[in-house]
Amino acid sequence: MSKVRIVTDSTADIPADVREKYGITMISLKVLFGEETYLDAVDLTTEEFYSRLKASPVLPKTSQPSPADFLDVYERLLAEDPTAPIVSIHLASVLSGTYQSATIAKSMVEIEGADIRVIDSCSASFGHGMQVVLAAQMAENGASADDIVAATAQRQKNTGIYFLVDTLDYLQKGGRIGKAAAMIGSLLNIKPILSLEPNGTVTAVDKARGSKKAMAKIVELLKQSFGNDELALVVAKTDDEATTNELRDRLTAELNIKEIYYTTVGTVIGTYTGPGTSAVFLYKV
Amino acid sequence: MSKRAIDGSDFAQMALLGADLLKRNAEKVNALNVFPVPDGDTGTNMNLTMTSGITELKNKQSAHLGKTAEALSKGLLMGARGNSGVILSQLFRGFSKSLAHVEEATAMDVAVALQHGVDMAYKAVVKPVEGTILTVAKEAARHAVQFARRNTEVLELMEEVYAKANEALQKTPDLLPVLKQVGVVDSGGQGLVFIYEGFVQALSGAKVELGNDDAALEAAPAEVKVAKLTEPSSAQAKLETLDIEFFYDMEFFIKRNVSGKSAVVFDESAYKKALSKDGDSILVITDDDIIKVHVHSRKPGDVFNLSVRYGELTDIHILNMREQHRELLEEEGLSSEVNLAAAELLAGQAIDNRPAEHGFERAPYGMIAVALGDGVAELFRSSDVDVVLSGGQTMNPSTEDFVKAIDGLSAEHIFIFPNNSNIILAAEQAAQLTERPVTIIPTKTIPQGIAAVLAFKEDETPERNKEWMVSAASMVISGQVTKAVRDTSIDGVEITEGHYIGLKEKSIVTSEAELLAACQALLASMLEDEGDIVTILTGEGSTEDTTSAICEWISENYSDLEIDLQNGGQPLYPYVFAVE
Repeated sequence: MSKVRIVTDSTADIPADVREKYGITMISLKVLFGEETYLDAVDLTTEEFYSRLKASPVLPKTSQPSPADFLDVYERLLAEDPTAPIVSIHLASVLSGTYQSATIAKSMVEIEGADIRVIDSCSASFGHGMQVVLAAQMAENGASADDIVAATAQRQKNTGIYFLVDTLDYLQKGGRIGKAAAMIGSLLNIKPILSLEPNGTVTAVDKARGSKKAMAKIVELLKQSFGNDELALVVAKTDDEATTNELRDRLTAELNIKEIYYTTVGTVIGTYTGPGTSAVFLYKV
Repeated sequence: MSKRAIDGSDFAQMALLGADLLKRNAEKVNALNVFPVPDGDTGTNMNLTMTSGITELKNKQSAHLGKTAEALSKGLLMGARGNSGVILSQLFRGFSKSLAHVEEATAMDVAVALQHGVDMAYKAVVKPVEGTILTVAKEAARHAVQFARRNTEVLELMEEVYAKANEALQKTPDLLPVLKQVGVVDSGGQGLVFIYEGFVQALSGAKVELGNDDAALEAAPAEVKVAKLTEPSSAQAKLETLDIEFFYDMEFFIKRNVSGKSAVVFDESAYKKALSKDGDSILVITDDDIIKVHVHSRKPGDVFNLSVRYGELTDIHILNMREQHRELLEEEGLSSEVNLAAAELLAGQAIDNRPAEHGFERAPYGMIAVALGDGVAELFRSSDVDVVLSGGQTMNPSTEDFVKAIDGLSAEHIFIFPNNSNIILAAEQAAQLTERPVTIIPTKTIPQGIAAVLAFKEDETPERNKEWMVSAASMVISGQVTKAVRDTSIDGVEITEGHYIGLKEKSIVTSEAELLAACQALLASMLEDEGDIVTILTGEGSTEDTTSAICEWISENYSDLEIDLQNGGQPLYPYVFAVE
């Protein structure tokens, strides 16, 4: 049986070396600063992106890949090996039309016997990315498409995700605010503690005065869900390393963390979360 | 003058003279505040409470003693401000209930009524503290009952009551250590003694003409000059009917013509903003094709002109709240139930009580907070508080203010944040006067109030919300800086008039000639156990230089601490701090 091929999109925020190591095929979303279009995770470095984001008077726009973009990739992979199943894992459908494009592309594939599974990660950034990495690791070891799909769903359920944003403005302007909307408008220095609902909707699970209080609450919430379990921690940074590092240090001090990985919040997700965002993803090892 | 019984007119004179004496001595009572801070004035609060009682009494004058006393009690209840004001209202509530069916009261009737008042007040207060107005009233009433067994002269009885109350007042420092420390008697108790003194004067023959504002009167036997009774009637009239500023209570629906090409896009927040220019108690509920609007406005035409742009108006109800209120004042001999319903009418409760139509429901929660300063009020509003009552300098909100705010809110459950220990009782009293479910979060400072408001979670039950809010309020350390209004020594700190004193929660921790030094000493004390974030609310008397010096000092000495600098605009307190 042929090895399962793993496809994802750029919003999984998987570092390039990890993608290469596991042979993950990535399709980029696009970021548009006015007339200029950039391919996410390809054209712009994150440093360039965040400094432009801060300077830009208008919010950049993002655009999902077209069905044709996916169709090209699916057909190319099938041309290489028509019997290899494809597992294509994407940004939560409540946040983006990427999953929709992939689904349409799948229906357009006219190759006899093609096995394409388009999966809604119901997550974002590395919450999505860790499902992809897990899938690629399993594929490497010869797992079946069915097993891979089941395992990614399991990983989605058992991942703890929290993120801190410097301001809710970006989530609001980008229309991705979900249930965090209630916090908008307060003049006080309020940091919402954001997470994702099971379908990927952004939600504020709590709020705190200032980022230090917010970090303490995140630690508290994670302790409640994981206790003394052995954990892997993925830290996603943007342009504010100090806050992200402090959050990491608080987590490693209070939780039983065995592995730490780093990534960066990419340009598409960053468009909606803004500069100064930190995100952490935890799962049992 | 010998009197074996008093009727409604006699009692009205007693109340008038009592109120008058209290009014003229309000400043003296204020000066007895334990803390040398320039607000939380007991004298002012009691005076305003009593004035409200007198206005009601004048409107319902009767020769029937029970009815007169009931009128006074009603007015006191609605006008109650501050802890002493609330207790005063309860004393007379018990008093009037005891005499409800008595046309003329004997000395024994009066004594028993005084005792009833004391019982009522002790029941109303969650944790009665001895050495306060409660003790003064209790001692006086106990003595009155004993005295009335042997004596039938009402004047003699009141003289005894007055003397005993004064004696108990002088002993309050023995019961309440903080009074002894400062060297004052209890301020609320002093206020009550003035009222009793007025009772004695009235029974001795001093008179105040009802409704004659310029009457200057001599109180011959007691040789006390009774000053002009000026403000009460006019000021109260203003406070009552004319105080209803946005007096057209409007409710209607806008039917959205979604398919029509001419339909203007409906921007809810812009619409609310437009309404708020000349209105309050605004409630806008937007559904797909219908918008429910509730507003109190001075200009109903403007509201309709604005609204009709968005669609057809339907199910329109308008109520003139001033008219309602005037009618109310004119009516005589209302039962207590009717009277309370009147307060509800005032705030448009009658309309809110109509069964929900078109499937609209009330918001699950409403929040009412008391704030000092425009900036603080804005902070609360921006944090989802629906009504911000002004807890200005000495004008603590009355029970009636709370009742109005509660009834003006279309919410299933209402939380109140008094943000001052002297306002909690009035809020609690208001909660009892309304049938709406109300939970008081007993916040004693603005920082506690802010922390509690932020702990609110819309998805949770009222009980759990209360738990979280109370716990959040207990996690914050509050600090306030103000100018001392007199020399004193308290909590081991020597205080000089005009110096800046720093209060950490309820204790004075520093007194300094310089504002910056006082702030630093206070913050150092507040930060003993460290913290994550300090909130600075700048008020009247703060300067940019001092503010930046404070921020620099914090950054230098507590580098890990986040600073949230906010314009509070509060009077009398240049700086309010919160450490969390």
